[in-house]
Amino acid sequence: MIADAPVIDFHGHVGNWESVAMLDEPSPMLHAMDAAGVDRACVFNIFHPDGRRANDSTAAFVARHPDRFIGFAYVSPMMPETIEAELTRAIDDLGLQAIKIYPPYTVFPLDHEAWHAIFAFAQERGLVILSHTDDGALSEPRKLGTAAERFPGATFVSGHSGNIEPFRTQAIEMARVHDNFYLETCSTYRQPGVIEKLVAGAGSDRVLFGSDQPLMDPRTQLGKIITADLTDEEKRQVIGGNARRLLGLD
Amino acid sequence: MNELSFRCDSPVLDANVGVGHRHDRPSPVEDAAVLLAEMDRHGVDAALVYPVQGEQVSALDGNDGLHEWVDGADGRLLPLWMASMAPESLEQLQQLHASGLVRAVRLHDTTSTSTPLTSWIYGDLLAWLQQEDLPLWISLADNDPVQLADTLSAFRELRTVLVGAHYTHAPYVLSLLRHLPRSCLELSRHESLGAIEDLVTQVGARRLLYGSYYPRYAMGPVLWGLHRQQIDSRQLQRILDGTARELLSR
Repeated sequence: MIADAPVIDFHGHVGNWESVAMLDEPSPMLHAMDAAGVDRACVFNIFHPDGRRANDSTAAFVARHPDRFIGFAYVSPMMPETIEAELTRAIDDLGLQAIKIYPPYTVFPLDHEAWHAIFAFAQERGLVILSHTDDGALSEPRKLGTAAERFPGATFVSGHSGNIEPFRTQAIEMARVHDNFYLETCSTYRQPGVIEKLVAGAGSDRVLFGSDQPLMDPRTQLGKIITADLTDEEKRQVIGGNARRLLGLD
Repeated sequence: MNELSFRCDSPVLDANVGVGHRHDRPSPVEDAAVLLAEMDRHGVDAALVYPVQGEQVSALDGNDGLHEWVDGADGRLLPLWMASMAPESLEQLQQLHASGLVRAVRLHDTTSTSTPLTSWIYGDLLAWLQQEDLPLWISLADNDPVQLADTLSAFRELRTVLVGAHYTHAPYVLSLLRHLPRSCLELSRHESLGAIEDLVTQVGARRLLYGSYYPRYAMGPVLWGLHRQQIDSRQLQRILDGTARELLSR
């Protein structure tokens, strides 16, 4: 909590990735979350395209601290035969609460029909999909926007909000056009005025704080919001209020 | 002011601020007054400023333009002069130093200029800096870490500040600091989970210093994040301005 406002980190990873000093261990994350004032963090494992091993890993991680972590399911269109059954298992049996997708680990742009099975599942269940977005041809925000238009019953979150310009502006435009399109803030690109631009462009009710921990420390990433030129109420929405609403945590 | 707002109330020296327009990157900061206003917003007392024109194109021109930033700033903007591989660059620095104006120097981007950071290219510059006991700022983002480590280790008394370590550098930053015992680490981009607390434990706060990389990055997030580290107040103050003041005072 910060100033009695709940803080929810919408973007966190589990799993091992030694070359960037990432280890599958909750205690360093909890330490940083406690120091920052982060109440809960959404986490997912994107390293196993079959989904099963990834989601088992996420569920086990969450089970160690279910009051602090919220698990998202992961599947890949690279293994389409697994998608529906694995999403069903991850949501219904493992209790994961939303879906994470990562186009750079596939060969399909976000507007390719290979993703439709995932989007259709989310629409049928009314789930949130957090997608990595950036300047790559597979991950452009406008392509996630086509999904938001075609699957209005699902909610799409643009991870990193496109990351850099002009894709950040593109992500904002998608949020303006589609009511089910949200922006998430984590990025190593921390230019002055980024958060203010997201809020001014999309509205403070459409922007979600994320850190990308453990790749990045939530203390610096949350600092982007706290030191931004926003009103207190706007900050309350971004740091946790919007996430609580989207995930039904109220 | 509540927890949703932040302005540092203890002395701060930002050790990494770029000024002026780069050939490919116009700056949003028009002049010293705008920069000082941003510093005031975050409670930053002083900043070490370098001309970004010197990163890839011309240290000579960049340094010529730096005077207009530091003159008339009431001592709040301290010059960080740029150095390139050209003999004329060293001559310029020597003339500035003869006038009592040089406290620190920053190396240009040897990656983009395709001039390997080797002693047979940069040896005269490094030997002169070592002889004059002037610290050298070097961007990890812009210089090959192997060349950097091998070349600098031959200048054992040279004090260096490694700038802009990213999470991709995280696995070997500690090894690099140990390999170069007279080096310090500037923290603008070093935001891997728990990294700052680990470094305080491993190498001590006297080898760490706050920098923002403004305006490439916002000034506030790292500053807020530093205030959420589980370190004592003396260690924090060391990072906020003590290490930088000591580097510049000799």
